[in-house]
Amino acid sequence: MLHIKFSKQNKSVCEERGNHLSMDSMERIEPSIDPNTWIPLDEDTISKDVLSFCDEESYENRLIRSQEKTGLPEAVQTGIGYSNGTLIAPGVMDFQFMGGSMGSAVGEKITRLIEYATQKLLPLVLVCASGGARMQEGTVSLMQMAKISSALHYYQVQKKLLYISILTYPTTGGVTASFGMLGDIIIAESKAYIAFAGKRVIEETLGQKVPDGFQLAEALFENGLLDLIVPRILIKGVLSEISDLYSSVPYKKN
Amino acid sequence: MAAVILPQHSSLYSVKTSLAPPARTASSSKIGVETGDFTILHSSKNGVTNDVQLRSILRNAQVKRCRMYSKVTAMLKRGGRKTPDKEYPWPQKMRPQDLIGSPLPFLSRFKPLPQKSKPVHLPFELPLVDIQKKIHEVRELADSTGMDFSMQLNELQEKYEEVRRDLYTHLSPIQRLSVARHPSRPTCLDHILTITDKWLELHGDRAGFDDPAIISGIGKIDGMSFMFIGHQKGRNTKENIYRNFAMPTPNGYRKALRMMQHAAHHGFPILTFVDTPGAYAGIQAEERGQGEAIARNLREMFGLRVPIITTVIGEGGSGGALAIGCCDKMLMLENSVYYVASPEACAAILWKKAAAAPKATEAMRITAHELMKMDIVDDVIPEPLGGAHSDPFTTSMNMKKVIMKHMHELLKVDPEPLLERRFAKFRKIGAHQEAVNLDPRMKRKMKPRDAPPEMGEPKLLTSSVRENLEFNLKAASTANPSE
Repeated sequence: MLHIKFSKQNKSVCEERGNHLSMDSMERIEPSIDPNTWIPLDEDTISKDVLSFCDEESYENRLIRSQEKTGLPEAVQTGIGYSNGTLIAPGVMDFQFMGGSMGSAVGEKITRLIEYATQKLLPLVLVCASGGARMQEGTVSLMQMAKISSALHYYQVQKKLLYISILTYPTTGGVTASFGMLGDIIIAESKAYIAFAGKRVIEETLGQKVPDGFQLAEALFENGLLDLIVPRILIKGVLSEISDLYSSVPYKKN
Repeated sequence: MAAVILPQHSSLYSVKTSLAPPARTASSSKIGVETGDFTILHSSKNGVTNDVQLRSILRNAQVKRCRMYSKVTAMLKRGGRKTPDKEYPWPQKMRPQDLIGSPLPFLSRFKPLPQKSKPVHLPFELPLVDIQKKIHEVRELADSTGMDFSMQLNELQEKYEEVRRDLYTHLSPIQRLSVARHPSRPTCLDHILTITDKWLELHGDRAGFDDPAIISGIGKIDGMSFMFIGHQKGRNTKENIYRNFAMPTPNGYRKALRMMQHAAHHGFPILTFVDTPGAYAGIQAEERGQGEAIARNLREMFGLRVPIITTVIGEGGSGGALAIGCCDKMLMLENSVYYVASPEACAAILWKKAAAAPKATEAMRITAHELMKMDIVDDVIPEPLGGAHSDPFTTSMNMKKVIMKHMHELLKVDPEPLLERRFAKFRKIGAHQEAVNLDPRMKRKMKPRDAPPEMGEPKLLTSSVRENLEFNLKAASTANPSE
């Protein structure tokens, strides 16, 4: 039994077990960005119903319902702000909006954020929380993976700037297979569920049960896929230390 | 393992002995010979000495000529006797035709299947099957009675052609999906071997594995060499199991990446062929970093300074297909599909029942023509009437024509504009809009701006970035290929 007030005070971390509960994007941005320094980008970018998709409910209605329920226009918030004195470009995904699914608007907002960071030479921090690609947008949402990866190529490989990705509970599907795993430094939260194929799909393919703790952050860490597992309270400090280390490189001539 | 073949003995001398050392190892310890027949005698793994032992023992047995019946039993190794595969890794036996002309066909392990597979009929082709049966019956009747049924036969034949034409020119998305998944649909290697004049398959990711689900190699078309990479499905069940149903593991994607970087290094344009239900969802695959392998491929493909053309020849399954599909030009065969999630998975998640798969197929717009309308696909390659499986040769030739047409355009472009065009191709894909007068209630959980005005206006900043970008995109897309 965890009181909401105490839990939020503690950044939604259960004191006893250290379980990090999921947080919405506002709660992540608030403490990480220095006060009075936040500029949001692309607040009004939303998705279009490109396929006129209608399953049990039309995609348009689903979007409007999610927007009213969660108070967010889309599944990601992007912007720029100072964090411990350094200007960074964070993008924070939110699992509450349609399961954090990556549609055209998410792809566009993140791509614009990366382009902006490329222009202004800012370090990029993307907090990932997603159930995968948005099926209601079909192949268009699949191509968002390629779009973001192309922007990241220009940002990381050609401009050699720093990109830190933070994987939270849960990060699955298209996000893991595109920008989630492309960070120069990949940080995960403790016990975050990070996967490409979901547990059920694997069990169906193999016809056997999957071991416990199989796709949790600790298991990925053992398999060498992550750089760090950082508890939530320390994230802000760790990020500023990392950007300090990367900005003090002496040999910029390469 | 040495093999000794014993000649037929009419007399019943056999040797009971154990040719293995006293300490029994896990491998086969007893070697035996069944009397009276030709048998292959395998010595244990312990080396050459056993042959000598065997010979001496047999000699002893012959000399003794006593009623010593010793029955030697052959205990098979766990897992059965291993017949060495004569075709692995390369064909061991050279035939005279392998020595004439180019040595490359000898190295190609992909040979035509020994037995022609039974024709598989899709559910929507049942009317054709009925007419075919009727034609067969009439023909038999004509043969048995000797009467002239040629008029009826002609009529039936015409009807067959008409129905076939009707069916195949108006395929619905669900029917196209079943054609894309047809078991006899020509695979990646079938196409490659038809369109190339020379073909050399290359293997391995240089990191411990050679994934059979992904094919890579170098081939020559019209005097120009290209790098070919593709998902390979099996042509029958046995091959499918070997190829893992064209579902690559991270090792496959790393192999593809190594080949693509090798191609960019030497200047081979890259032709990729997509035909996969998706990346393999298994425990080992996840542990080895399936997501990371795909992500790395996506990013690196945008930096390869050679033309890349992707052709979807069957089904294109989500990230597993996109990992070799970030290209300058995307082509699709007429009956192929490209989806973000298989219709079955989509139905199970959105409609909560697997039976809604046909509805999902219709709603998700996965066929070639629909994707071309959405500007994702650049060209659709026509298939002969009846689908690719009815006439693989024509399909491959059509594909070759369209690929070479686009390749000739791309070969004229310099590397920098080529990369910019590739960015631009994917940059413009997206169905988003700027909401006008969005209800503030829908933004209540967004952190509002609290920076002082000195920090700048976000709208201005982003719009200037976008202007710059639009200018670059325009320049890249209207860049004259002849420049």
